[in-house]
Amino acid sequence: MRASGDLLMAALHSASEELSGKGVRFEVFARLGESTRLSRGASGILERCSSREFGVGCRVSGRDGAGFGAASGSGARAGREAARIALGTMLPAPDPLPPRSVLGATGTSLPHDVPESERIEEVLGDVAARVSGGRHGVMLVQARVLAGTSAAALATGEGFHAGAKAGGTVMELLVAPPEGPWRHFHFAAPAVSDLDPVTIAERVQETALLATRGSQPVRQLADVLLAPAVAAPIVEALVRYLTAASDKNREVRVSGAWHLTDDRLGPEGLLPLPWDGEGLPARRIDLIRSGEVGERLATWELAERFGGRPGGAVRPSYRHPPAAGPANLVVHPDPSTTQSKLLGRMANGFYLAVPAGAVRVDATEGRFGVQAAAVALQDGKPAATHPLVELRGSFRRLLAGLLAVGADSESFSLGCAVTTPSLLFRRLEIV
Amino acid sequence: MERDQPAGLAELAAAVTRSQVPGLEDLYFERRAESLWRLAAGHVVAREASLHEGTAVRRDGQLLSGDGLDRPVLANLLGIASRTLPSFSAPRFPESPSLEHALGEPPAGWTSVRWRWSWAAVLTGRKAVTVTRPQLAEVTLADGQRALFCWPPEASTSPESPVAQTATAVRPGKVRVLLAPTATTVLLHELVGHPLEGDLLVRGASPWSRRIGERIMRLPLWVTDDPTRTDLPGAFSADDEGTTAAPRPLLAEGVLAGALADRRTAESLGIEPGNARRAGVHSPPRPRISNLVATARGTLPEPPRTDAAIEVLALSSGTLEPASGVVMLRVRTAFSLRRGTRRHVLAPFTLVGTVDAVTGGLLAAAEPSDRGAEPGWCAKDGEVVPTGGFAPWLLLEGLEVR
Repeated sequence: MRASGDLLMAALHSASEELSGKGVRFEVFARLGESTRLSRGASGILERCSSREFGVGCRVSGRDGAGFGAASGSGARAGREAARIALGTMLPAPDPLPPRSVLGATGTSLPHDVPESERIEEVLGDVAARVSGGRHGVMLVQARVLAGTSAAALATGEGFHAGAKAGGTVMELLVAPPEGPWRHFHFAAPAVSDLDPVTIAERVQETALLATRGSQPVRQLADVLLAPAVAAPIVEALVRYLTAASDKNREVRVSGAWHLTDDRLGPEGLLPLPWDGEGLPARRIDLIRSGEVGERLATWELAERFGGRPGGAVRPSYRHPPAAGPANLVVHPDPSTTQSKLLGRMANGFYLAVPAGAVRVDATEGRFGVQAAAVALQDGKPAATHPLVELRGSFRRLLAGLLAVGADSESFSLGCAVTTPSLLFRRLEIV
Repeated sequence: MERDQPAGLAELAAAVTRSQVPGLEDLYFERRAESLWRLAAGHVVAREASLHEGTAVRRDGQLLSGDGLDRPVLANLLGIASRTLPSFSAPRFPESPSLEHALGEPPAGWTSVRWRWSWAAVLTGRKAVTVTRPQLAEVTLADGQRALFCWPPEASTSPESPVAQTATAVRPGKVRVLLAPTATTVLLHELVGHPLEGDLLVRGASPWSRRIGERIMRLPLWVTDDPTRTDLPGAFSADDEGTTAAPRPLLAEGVLAGALADRRTAESLGIEPGNARRAGVHSPPRPRISNLVATARGTLPEPPRTDAAIEVLALSSGTLEPASGVVMLRVRTAFSLRRGTRRHVLAPFTLVGTVDAVTGGLLAAAEPSDRGAEPGWCAKDGEVVPTGGFAPWLLLEGLEVR
């Protein structure tokens, strides 16, 4: 197979050739992703998958309006197809393409190697043996690792060209404690070698046994301490809500404990990249800071239309045009606040240790809900365990109610990268 | 080379067989075309389109996949020289339909409509099987809720709109509910569909493991997985391992009657395969539900509203936790009932119960049965496939409002 650089260049060239002379401004984005996925059960490997995904997305803009087309396939042909389709989708619309003068790249993109299947299998086997070993009775139901790299390139009809590389590894474990619901754990790291089987197994065993039995709590408003695994998807949902919210819904009371950035430059977080989804230089975007909702993530077009700064575009794949959204979220920790200090600040309330399922969002009402395993605390001491509680609330209350952040930051690969410590909130609804 | 019909697949299958690739199980080709219309106040404001094609090979217990559908891609996945393969072609991508022709003016509450066409072929041994599926229409509403139909979408089949802000909060506690066909489909999809998927049965991750043949409810209910219902989104002519589609009874008169299997789990369970589905070319085939069709004996002629306190029209999701057997239904659209009449629109809430409470609490089924816009896209381990459903109304007790 051809090297990634050759493929990307061939696609950019063929699409540009197809679009040149058509009287349109254009942008071509090509991406090559290579990944390996392994899953194993208690008795051994269940599945091995290796995939190579390649595709091209084109945005065009001209007198007839704007359009977007994408195609997968083999190099130059995918580029030509994407260009042809994009021209066929043009509808009257404002020009969404940023001018050449604002495009550029900052920071560095780190080279990543495609991890070897044998190495992934070794790590997976080690984790499986450690999780299921011992007398605690925790059984591994399934373990999965997805490891991959991607190379992307972007070119415009006005001569801009940029490239970027990224990589990452996600490990997911489904375990059965001796009683109670099965638990799902998620770990993410830049590379397979960054996953430590000993730490992972210890964490899984400890947390899986935390709330295996108990009744449903009485419905109540309570202080809640969210472990990083529970906090991360809620933080992502909050940022997506703020990105789409009306100005009125962004003008709310905000706790001074929040410091949340989309740290696209890095080095914080899991996934820094040198440019945003439409080729603007990466920068650090303060989303919540100093008791205020900060900048709104915006594409060039949104910033032009509604005001604000562009540079907040993401492109989850070549199949989609760039859209405003988070890339590399970081909730800044408080190094002086240990877990015991956080628990100490919450005399009565719930500690939510591990999520059970995805966060549900009602975008029109600005509300969210998530299920988790919980420990009830009274006078700072564990009083009861609850295998499954539901945490509900409004994003408004989340913004206002953050009391403190911990020092125990962890990274997660969700709809975007999220790095967050434990978060302590005042009075959210527990059901 | 492209033609309106696929060509050369049988010759290709023969050539691949001759090349004696070690451990080769099957080949899978797929083409998919999509169009997305973004809407605002009933008008199209933007359009996006995409074409995808890919090839997958299962060999030596691995799935190897790549974008592209041509000899070099296939040869690379097989680990052989490209010149040993004959030329072949997939059918041409169709032109995207016109939304205006299909629908006229879209309803004001819709924010997007997506059209999907797909074609696939499976080559196993010397056999080449073409997989046809219905064209799909996905509608998205203002609150992000998505509904799935066969193309074309009809304004009259619009999913329930988001509830008004003035909706009444429902009181927690045990309640008797009446589920409309769409909600019934989601409940049965979670209660009977997913848990009878062969990989979950083999793994012991289903409350129905080793219980086939047992009566699980008193209500004389039949549930069938029917991929031959081409009016529903989960239909296919052959499954994604090339087995010809056929209805598969899952529940017969309240008794667990069968399971869903791909070739691998069919062997373990001692049943026929035919339910393998792939979320795309980069996903391996797994036993998955297609269209859930439920019927009952002795159905009431109309929904028994006087016997229920809440009428549930639509759910946003349902889950079944395999270890604890807890069923959770997230209700999106519902009304409180009083003396058989709708009184208040209810704010979204959750219905919770155990598998035993739900199966034991099914009291009656009622007409008119109908197709539902849900469950729609069904996710399992992050892999998403289209599904459909057709079911009657159900009267159910034993669930608790939370």
